[in-house]
Amino acid sequence: MYLSNPVTFYMIHFKNVSKFYPPDIVGLDAVNLRIEHGEFVSIVGQSGTGKSTLAKLLFAEERPSKGVVEIGGWDITKIRASDVPLLRRQIGVVFQDFKLLPKKTVYENIAFALQVAGIPSVRVREVVPRVLSIVGLDDKAHRFPQQLSGGEQQRVAIGRALVHQPKILVADEPTGNLDTLNSRDILELLKKINEFGTTVVLVTHDREIVNRLKRRVITLEGGKIVSDVEEGRYRL
Amino acid sequence: MMLTSTYRIIKFAFQNFWRNIWLSIITVSMLVLTLLTVNILLVVNRVTDQTIAFVENRIEVSVYFNEKTEQVKINDALTYFRTLPEVKDVQEISADEAFAIFKTRHANDADILNSLEELGKNPFGPTLIIKAHQAKDFDAIITALDHPRFRDDIRQRNFSDYQSIVSKIRKTTSEIRTGGMILSGIFFLIALLIIFNTVRVAIFIHREEIGIMRLVGASSNFIRAPFLVETIILSVFSILIVIAIMYPALALIEPKFSQYFGPGTTGLVSYFEQNGLLIFGTQFLALLIVTMGSTALAMRKHLKV
Ligand SMILES: Nc1ncnc2c1ncn2[C@@H]1O[C@H](COP(=O)(O)OP(=O)(O)OP(=O)(O)O)[C@@H](O)[C@H]1O
Ligand SMILES: [Mg+2]
Repeated sequence: MYLSNPVTFYMIHFKNVSKFYPPDIVGLDAVNLRIEHGEFVSIVGQSGTGKSTLAKLLFAEERPSKGVVEIGGWDITKIRASDVPLLRRQIGVVFQDFKLLPKKTVYENIAFALQVAGIPSVRVREVVPRVLSIVGLDDKAHRFPQQLSGGEQQRVAIGRALVHQPKILVADEPTGNLDTLNSRDILELLKKINEFGTTVVLVTHDREIVNRLKRRVITLEGGKIVSDVEEGRYRL
Repeated sequence: MMLTSTYRIIKFAFQNFWRNIWLSIITVSMLVLTLLTVNILLVVNRVTDQTIAFVENRIEVSVYFNEKTEQVKINDALTYFRTLPEVKDVQEISADEAFAIFKTRHANDADILNSLEELGKNPFGPTLIIKAHQAKDFDAIITALDHPRFRDDIRQRNFSDYQSIVSKIRKTTSEIRTGGMILSGIFFLIALLIIFNTVRVAIFIHREEIGIMRLVGASSNFIRAPFLVETIILSVFSILIVIAIMYPALALIEPKFSQYFGPGTTGLVSYFEQNGLLIFGTQFLALLIVTMGSTALAMRKHLKV
């Protein structure tokens, strides 16, 4: 599978990627990684092993110190600051702490991701309700984030990540702040999104989630990939 | 797309303004206080000017000529002083007029009238009353009076008192001006610091939000522009509040000054009415330059997007 058709691009392609934080902290250490279109990949590993670093390299929150990062054939190793917004409009990101704008309603939070891209209002009014119904929040559109439960807030964040129908969804511990039931909901949502064709990269600590997924699992240790199995189980 | 983005930026700026209403209120209050001090200074300046004009208007040198001085010489002096650039007005009082004025002034004083009778002639000479444009012009006038052409014909000139008044006014005036300028400078610096700090705090408060905006693909301009527009909104509110405070306040204090200088002399209200556009327009422009400048500076320093 990894060596499939060489003329097509990998959705995500890390070539010998290292990331060092000053003074001499190793975030990632010579990682080679290929993820194809439509995959659902879990990244697991103990704390401080470089999972978030890997995720941040995907949406250019960090630049690699060595090696090359390509997203859908686009070399973003040395991406210009002014091009970063373009990249981010094609990659959905979801975090443990939701990262919603506290002074904007659910509707406005989701609409915002479209508005920053200059999408016409007519289109915004079409897309947002559709996304709201995908994440099951039609009835809470006009609440502010602090008026929602953690699971609901995370669904808003996922909804926002979906507005541009991204090729890739990066989720860094999306269930880290949620109880088991809410975690399962979020996981189902991510699976649904994956079924629509979005490549999902899920960074997680959650043993149960990984075991339920029965999809590809990459394990990091000290910034290196120590295992990469097609239908993995959480083995730490 | 340009239009849509512009509309959105303005909308977000207003949203920021309303949804962080306390921060907005604090910022506007500070701007209002700064502007008010500037305007108070303006009023002080205006009142000082009026006071000086009021006093200067009343300062004059009376030049008493000898009894026997011929009219030709008086006319000569009259013409000469009228040509001096420092002189605003010269008034001649003839010997007869002086005599008449004296008599009416002392109409009830039998003793004085009697002694005048005994004297049997007009003891007064002609008088010139010279007014200057400004207090400092009296130096030149006094020097001119010492000119040999007139010196010998002049019996007396009472200017000595005026000289001290003049120098006192001059001193006070320059002290007020210097003090006012220093005060303006201090207030200006304080205003700058306040605005810079307010924006810095705003950015600090919004730091997380700004990070989130970047994550969902907002460009730098899209993040920065609402801050600048919000600064404009804050400035507009501030100047409007200042205008709303100034006019009633002026109408309230104007009568107090009129008590000293006579009705309508300070003309504070009418001064601000006639020059309102200029006064507040200039202040608004200055405010915009300062607030936008410090916003830009604070963004450059603290908003790495
Ligand atoms: N901005 C940074 N500056 C310096 N060191 C950093 C920075 N970010 C991460 N690191 C370090 O790099 C290493 C990898 O961090 P990373 O956040 O990728 O770990 P992680 O696997 O996501 O951990 P966790 O499961 O706790 O989230 C750690 O040693 C961390 O301390
Ligand atoms: Mg992490």
